[in-house]
Amino acid sequence: MFSVGGVKLAARTEDVGGVSPWTESIPVPSRTPFVQAMLKRGNQVMPVYDLASRLGSPVQGDLLLCLEARHLDGPMAICIDADVPSLETVDAAAIRPNDREDIETLGTVTIGGKDVAIVAMQRLGRSRQDAVRS
Amino acid sequence: MSLRGHHPSTNVLVETASFLVVRLGVSYVALPADGVRGVLTREEAGSEQSVTAAGTVYQPVDLAQRLSVLADLSGLEMRTVLYSNGRSQGAICVEQVVGLTDVARKDCLPLPPQFQRDERNWFAGMMLYQDQLVLILNSSWALGELDDLVPASVGQAELMIAATPATVGGSC
Repeated sequence: MFSVGGVKLAARTEDVGGVSPWTESIPVPSRTPFVQAMLKRGNQVMPVYDLASRLGSPVQGDLLLCLEARHLDGPMAICIDADVPSLETVDAAAIRPNDREDIETLGTVTIGGKDVAIVAMQRLGRSRQDAVRS
Repeated sequence: MSLRGHHPSTNVLVETASFLVVRLGVSYVALPADGVRGVLTREEAGSEQSVTAAGTVYQPVDLAQRLSVLADLSGLEMRTVLYSNGRSQGAICVEQVVGLTDVARKDCLPLPPQFQRDERNWFAGMMLYQDQLVLILNSSWALGELDDLVPASVGQAELMIAATPATVGGSC
């Protein structure tokens, strides 16, 4: 589980490449919604997905973190709150479908008494692209 | 006015590609060097909108505006790059000319497929130069030759990537 703008979200562990300190991203001229920067790590660069802007919730904390999403198109960096993500184990049967349209999800699960959306990291941004295009 | 010592590399077997790296705001952009016809200071470019050099008229290209980049073109390091791809010409104002570099083609990387809209027409790829991320400009687009082109869709972008060697480098 991780948070963006104080909003608790979840991701499947297999969809996450790692979590590391956030470093300054490099703006890239782009008209793709929420994909307007890249992150450079040594000789590696990866696109940044601005999940906070998409959710309308600015990231919180001083020492922000970078969550590396294993997107189908390749690794993608997401800036998340400074709160260190936690590992939660849930029963797959406990995952319920939801009708969220603001973000791609795999469903919702209740953790600690709160409903948490499981972000579909592999296809993050795809429905938004389709919506923009249509 | 020309870049002495620079020879156009048109042979596809050539292992390196030459670029003039320029800066616009916080963005570093690489222009294929074989199209560079000259680099002028503000005084050399004069106050006219277009620049005439060696009998060729170079119409102004507001690259910063076209890329929606904030650039300060009032500084001392501002330069006008006279550019031609053989079919079209343009006088491109940049905030700074950073340098001329040869890059191994394998080190030219494609734009990640997550970038899916107009920027796929704007940039041919990207590379690293002096530890900076540099976007390789598509000169045809910059000179206004692709203005009517529909941006590549997701599917088209995937096909383009799959169909070119760019996925393993070679985007230049």
